[in-house]
Amino acid sequence: MALDTTVEHADGRVPITIVALDGELDASNFTGLVKSVQDLYSAGTRHLLLDLSALRFMASSGLVALHSIVRILGGEAPDDAEAGWSALHAVGHDVSGGSTQTDVQLCGAQPAVQRVLDRTGLSRLFVAHPDRAAALAAF
Amino acid sequence: MAEPRGHVRVPADLARVAEIRSLVRRVAGDCDAPDGCEDDLVQAVDEAATNVVVHGYRGERGWLDVHAERVDDRIVITLQDTAPMFDPTEVPEPDLAVPPERRRPGGMGVHLMRQATDSIAHRPRPGGGNILTLIRRLDTST
Repeated sequence: MALDTTVEHADGRVPITIVALDGELDASNFTGLVKSVQDLYSAGTRHLLLDLSALRFMASSGLVALHSIVRILGGEAPDDAEAGWSALHAVGHDVSGGSTQTDVQLCGAQPAVQRVLDRTGLSRLFVAHPDRAAALAAF
Repeated sequence: MAEPRGHVRVPADLARVAEIRSLVRRVAGDCDAPDGCEDDLVQAVDEAATNVVVHGYRGERGWLDVHAERVDDRIVITLQDTAPMFDPTEVPEPDLAVPPERRRPGGMGVHLMRQATDSIAHRPRPGGGNILTLIRRLDTST
């Protein structure tokens, strides 16, 4: 199963770009997701909602993608995936100065994906919502 | 009745790791494994296979051979390859006390493998390569 990405836009108190992930996020496709978000940021996106409700599986490389997306929305360079896997192990940047960032928020994570976020502590990096409606109201 | 089991051999290509996940899902389903157990096995085998492709073969051609089977109240997954020696059990645990925004995002794969399984064992493959065995009980929690 591949990863399908759908992009939508919504207006809340701020303009929000919604990226919905459908399928499996793994080592074969995570750089494509990062590139998509880089393009969105270049086009003006500053608030991003990742809708994970149809994401069936997320590998540790997906965590790298989420980390990179937070960096991109924070105006920083993504983790250097182009330099190879070893570069990902060498990244150690701050992305939010120690507090939970709110530029990138999550919704709809299924148990398998939520477990990965919890087991790695990455859930602490995100405000998470049960569904898209709750997320859009919170931005 | 024979115990559920399955086997797949795929080229060492990240785009083919999904086939290994599919095999494990099928065998876990045949075992009536709880959702959490199946998810854990899929996570563990994905991280293990990805490690072989990325850290083992490092872009060189090769293959991964994966067996999954039920043994008593456990599912046993065995991965074999002919890559240079790489023992994931020797990878140190990440420091989860460090805030995620200050942590190195890589290096989480082996941590997830450990979290998702009851045991991981590595041994050299006769003739060269690696044999990695992942074992998980057929229950909801590790």
